[in-house]
Amino acid sequence: MKLLNYTLLVLISIAMSSCGDAKKNDTIATNNNAAEENAVTDPLVKSVTRGKAIYRELCVTCHLTNGKGVAGAFPPLNPSDWLTGKRAASIHAIKYGLKGPIEVNGKPYDNIMLPLGLDDQEIADVMNYTIQTWNSGEIVTLDEVKAVKK
Amino acid sequence: MNICILIVAACTLFTGCKSNTGSKESAQNSLPYEVDEAVEVSLESKPIVHNIPLVEDKKNYAITPVVTGLTNPWGMSWLPNGDLIYTEKDGSMYRFDGKSSYTITNVPEVYARGQGGLLDVTVHPNFKENNFIYVSYASPEGAEPGGNTAVARAVLKNNELTDLKVLYKASPNTKQGVHFGSRFAWDGDGYLYFSTGDRGNRDENPQDLTRDNGKIYRIHDDGRIPVDNPFVNTAGAKTAIYCYGNRNVQGLTTHPKTGAIIAHEHGPEGGDEINFIKSGVNYGWPVISYGEEYGGGVFAENTQKEGMAQPFYYWTPSIAPSGFAIIDNPAYGDWNGNFLVGSLKFQYLEMLRVTKSGVIKREKLADQFGRLRNVKISPDGIIHIGVEGKGIFTITRN
Repeated sequence: MKLLNYTLLVLISIAMSSCGDAKKNDTIATNNNAAEENAVTDPLVKSVTRGKAIYRELCVTCHLTNGKGVAGAFPPLNPSDWLTGKRAASIHAIKYGLKGPIEVNGKPYDNIMLPLGLDDQEIADVMNYTIQTWNSGEIVTLDEVKAVKK
Repeated sequence: MNICILIVAACTLFTGCKSNTGSKESAQNSLPYEVDEAVEVSLESKPIVHNIPLVEDKKNYAITPVVTGLTNPWGMSWLPNGDLIYTEKDGSMYRFDGKSSYTITNVPEVYARGQGGLLDVTVHPNFKENNFIYVSYASPEGAEPGGNTAVARAVLKNNELTDLKVLYKASPNTKQGVHFGSRFAWDGDGYLYFSTGDRGNRDENPQDLTRDNGKIYRIHDDGRIPVDNPFVNTAGAKTAIYCYGNRNVQGLTTHPKTGAIIAHEHGPEGGDEINFIKSGVNYGWPVISYGEEYGGGVFAENTQKEGMAQPFYYWTPSIAPSGFAIIDNPAYGDWNGNFLVGSLKFQYLEMLRVTKSGVIKREKLADQFGRLRNVKISPDGIIHIGVEGKGIFTITRN
């Protein structure tokens, strides 16, 4: 019985991790070995999964599915030193929009991103998707997003 | 089974409509090319898009601010007295009298997720007598969560929308924040055309006449469905539909000389199109497309299929077109008659020289000025552009 439970858990873990991009699997699936760790990382896995759907809905038109952006027009998120180095500013950009010159991975961009109408949890989710899939970093929490004011 | 019948019906209409165009579109011809031939475009021949030069911005014109400090000026239209009515996507609407902007109140509630919000605006051609003004917007009205495109008419009275009446509400609502369409155009007979996007549901919406979305519609100015709309006798069809198989039309215009209704639409990665809009025609999305899936890879099986129209022109890679106008003013010299299309993606205004054989020249205007959300010609013939994060500007030649 116990063995069956464990098998199920492993199967579920595999199923969950296999629905994302290859690279995401690398970063998250490795944590799924032990049941205790699985319980800890679960909120992040869930958040990343939700974030992927939001990303595919609203972000792909500019940043593209692979997160590489468009040279000279839309900065990359895959990877992005701006996203990882300026967490609060990144949350602020998704929440309230971003305008004017910025530098990403050493290259200049001067464009505008309008606010997307996402709620705070959705912002955390899409941040987690982009960080965990193409970069690395701590989980973005709902409180962290709430704390970013206009 | 149902779809089979629809396709057969569409094919019939498609071939049937070829002969009856252009009858009343003949007279004036001051354009530097043969307009009648330009409007008699073939919906069957493949567009020529290669080796058409894209001329760099010559900067031989002036850009002058009209209203600045705006976030996303989506719609523009003019009252007979010359006042400019404009919308901001967040749900606000203004009247600009040449000096100041006044807030227009009683705007309907909008669903402002992603691309949703308050979208286009158009003033009734006979506003002088009826004071009618029309708005399109992402509306949360309905049983399901989310929103979908709605068109409402109101009487503009002292900077207030009064007697607001929803003329059309696409359904069902969805929480997808993409592809609301929204653009308006009037034809010479007083019919109102408007677009809806596919709402991110390309597999179900654009090819199904019983569903809203991924269509261009034609209604009377009071919302009634014209009796000669192409699908009024098609069982289960949304009878306001005028054409279908459109992904997301954010540019719709009436040719100033020929009266032709012309649209452009967003493709996915690549495959943005210009289409001459004819009754009952299937424009093919997502069955045929010159575009690619986000992330690469061709997903449409074909670029051509019987019963589906070929675009007049297409862009690959996408420019992300929004706003559409045609210059009709000799003061613009050799620009006169050119098509203007805003590029959100590459932040310029694209000017296209059009002849019967298709687009023969492209030129950048306002290059790197910003994300071009809208372009319209004011009643006095001046090019107006709406730029995200900036505002509304005119483009004039010396």
